[in-house]
Amino acid sequence: MLIPCPHCGTRPVEEFTFLGDASVKRPASNDPSSMEQWYDYVYLRNNPKGRFDEFVHHSGGCRAWLVISRDTETHEVFGCVTVRDYGKTKGGKA
Amino acid sequence: MPKAPVRSKPVAVAEVILPRVSPLADVAVQGRFGADRGAPGVTFSVRHPLSIATVIARAGKGKATAQALAEYEPRWAGPDQYFVVAQGRGEGALYRELKSALDGIASVSDQSHGRVIIRIEGPKVRNVLAKGTPVDLHADEFPAGKSALTQMAHVGVHMTRVGEDAFELSVFRGFSESFWEWITEQAEEFGYQVR
Ligand SMILES: [Zn+2]
Repeated sequence: MLIPCPHCGTRPVEEFTFLGDASVKRPASNDPSSMEQWYDYVYLRNNPKGRFDEFVHHSGGCRAWLVISRDTETHEVFGCVTVRDYGKTKGGKA
Repeated sequence: MPKAPVRSKPVAVAEVILPRVSPLADVAVQGRFGADRGAPGVTFSVRHPLSIATVIARAGKGKATAQALAEYEPRWAGPDQYFVVAQGRGEGALYRELKSALDGIASVSDQSHGRVIIRIEGPKVRNVLAKGTPVDLHADEFPAGKSALTQMAHVGVHMTRVGEDAFELSVFRGFSESFWEWITEQAEEFGYQVR
């Protein structure tokens, strides 16, 4: 699988470290009543078939945190952006 | 009752200057090695002693940092990050100079003891490097002055093209001996010179 790093250009998957699902949202509350959301946020992950946004660290290159969008079935890569840019498109904080 | 002013005692800091020692001093033995048909395919040399510093721009100061570094021929080393190298400078001199030139806009750290730069040049240089890196080394894609961060033989390498057939590879000194063994082995089929 080739990943188009926005800083380094196209590089092989071996240069990257995968962290997992980029769509999880940190719960806003620290209140004990929100324990269930925290459990979900920390431990529970879906394993979707198809398009999936995933955090990757370009550990063997520019060492930047990126989000890659790929198809988990075909390994087709739709795009790769910095976490900062991903946050902007998702309306989150950069 | 007014508090007595707190007086901080001046702390005496002795400046300890450690001379740079090449980790490849006993490893990079000069001579002609590998295939011995005709001229060597590549020539290796260790750029030592060299002053090396990393520069990382503070948030929003990428442009200002690039401008301030223009005269130093900085080598790209990640988003808003650079390596600066200089020859013939005293211990810590480049670091101190950059630190004052970039005061408030970037962080500087001295890597002169931490990294080693191996120069590799010659007609077969691309053939040797292509055995280790997926980076496209054609001059149209990777012209002189361009840098890339990559891995060769599982070692993180900062690579800069310094001429048509010349590259400089920067590795952490702890990896330099095994990296040297690996890269010279890749050059054996072309024959190589160590200078
Ligand atoms: Zn990268």
